[in-house]
Amino acid sequence: MVLNIGPQHPSTHGVLRLQVKTDGEIISEIKPFIGYLHRCFEKHCENVTYEQVIPFTDRCDYLASMANNFGYVVAMEELMEIKVPERVEYIRVIMAELQRIASHLLALGTFGLDVGAFTPFLYMFRDRERILDMFEMTCGARLLYNYMWVGGLSHDLPIGFVESAFRFLDYFEPKIEEYNNILTYNKIFIERTADVGVMPADVAISYGVSGPNLRGSGVKWDIRKDEPYSIYDRFDFDVPVGIGEKGNLGDCWDRFNVRLTEMGESIKILRQALTQIPKNGDVHQTIPKKIRPPKGSIYKRTETPRGDLGFYIISDGSPIPNRLKMRSPAFTALSVLDEIGRGWMLSDVIAILGSLDIVLGEIDR
Amino acid sequence: MSDERDKLIAEVVEKALRGDMDEINNIEDRVTRSKAKAALAKAKRAQTADSPHQIEASDTGESTAPNTLSGNPNQKVGERISEKFPDSRDGEVADTHIQLKPDQWNEIATWLKTEEDLLFDSLQCITGMDLGENVLEARYNLHSMKHRNAIEIRIAVSREIAQIPSIEQVWRIGDWFERETYDMYGIRFTGHRDLRRILLPEDWEGWPLRKDYEVQETYHGIMVPKVKEGWE
Repeated sequence: MVLNIGPQHPSTHGVLRLQVKTDGEIISEIKPFIGYLHRCFEKHCENVTYEQVIPFTDRCDYLASMANNFGYVVAMEELMEIKVPERVEYIRVIMAELQRIASHLLALGTFGLDVGAFTPFLYMFRDRERILDMFEMTCGARLLYNYMWVGGLSHDLPIGFVESAFRFLDYFEPKIEEYNNILTYNKIFIERTADVGVMPADVAISYGVSGPNLRGSGVKWDIRKDEPYSIYDRFDFDVPVGIGEKGNLGDCWDRFNVRLTEMGESIKILRQALTQIPKNGDVHQTIPKKIRPPKGSIYKRTETPRGDLGFYIISDGSPIPNRLKMRSPAFTALSVLDEIGRGWMLSDVIAILGSLDIVLGEIDR
Repeated sequence: MSDERDKLIAEVVEKALRGDMDEINNIEDRVTRSKAKAALAKAKRAQTADSPHQIEASDTGESTAPNTLSGNPNQKVGERISEKFPDSRDGEVADTHIQLKPDQWNEIATWLKTEEDLLFDSLQCITGMDLGENVLEARYNLHSMKHRNAIEIRIAVSREIAQIPSIEQVWRIGDWFERETYDMYGIRFTGHRDLRRILLPEDWEGWPLRKDYEVQETYHGIMVPKVKEGWE
């Protein structure tokens, strides 16, 4: 039987259509149809200046806008050989890690929702709200920030930010234990996710899966550690990987647990960054008056909450990009769905899709 | 049985210490696998206690596997390709990329992925390009998870014969990346098993990211707006 899921369906996390071939209740093929949210990101980029691209990157992965800004400005600064002040680097890392926690909270919450746990979703949104409040305090926006600029930031940190960030961390750290109690080791949740949708490491690599999904398969690969950009080499943190604790290595539970543990690591980074951050510094100091990168091209990857975000920027020396390609981590994560979803029941496919943590805005661009 | 298992565990742990985790991950039996992992963790602890230098190396993310391509990987790999596949290179050697002719690309890709000291097992990105003057180009960013090397392959074709052999079955993500490049530039990847548009609707006309693209007048009876008001 051929079954259609979506494009409007709560468990597709956006506008995604799946054409599912089933044999009884067992899936024999999944064909994802994407493009419902295509906004011609790459075409638009060829018509606007380099600074005008930044708000577009916000709208690609709208759940981790800071991380997308970060990826773009890091690539641009490497292309233009700009060295930004220490304070800017620290603020960027702080924002990116807060964003990672916020994004993972949403991913875990909606994943719980997909497999039938409603309460944890509300708990996680309650805490995510606090992070959004801090972003609002910093740059006035709650979802789409346009905060990181090439060579600097749009605003300096507001007065009292560091203290409120510490207050948040003190509040949030014990909450991870609470999530563990309420969801991670919940028997029904384990039954629904452990051993489901096993993704072996070689399949994951061949499909270009990255980030927490890849680490859930036991591959210790994190760009923050392995190809450090910005100032990530200064911080002491671990890279959690799946170990197949509740089932086979690389199942949905492993991917879930990697995200949960990663939030703890982000807290570690945040504490170090908030302590070390220089007190003074002008965040507008190195912003170039005119952005005209030299002729050439660059491919630069950064680690967003969803995985390797790559920007391929080709400059012809004018203030408008000649070509800008975004390699989005959710795009590659969705492509593996057919491979790991076959042979499972229909309800498991919803769990697998939830565990991959896709954002359609980034897939369709 | 248990002797055999011990022997197997010792074997895979030794391999894993040299950076090859596949062996461990491929063990079918769950109990054996977890035992092997425990043994591996133990061995690693013992190792780090012995040699403090090694911790530093892994902490900074440096590869412990022998890196055969020190210096400029693009140049080195380019030379290797010329040796192995004479007459496949297109143009001069460059630091930033390797320019290839399309003909042998599938064989070269398979070789790049499987050759022991290259092992480019991860295809990062395929970027289409319109270089003007009737030339389209596909750029492949490859990365080796084991050796931590990255190279860039470029293949240029003319618009009239915009055909590049597909590498969809070498790196599986190539499937969607090639569909996207086809969607935007109209480069046909020969041998692709399911080459359809991916982001745009099936019946869209033209190749949007080509520089001379013009938007179609109407789509299913709906006017497509052309004037971009409020830009720049």
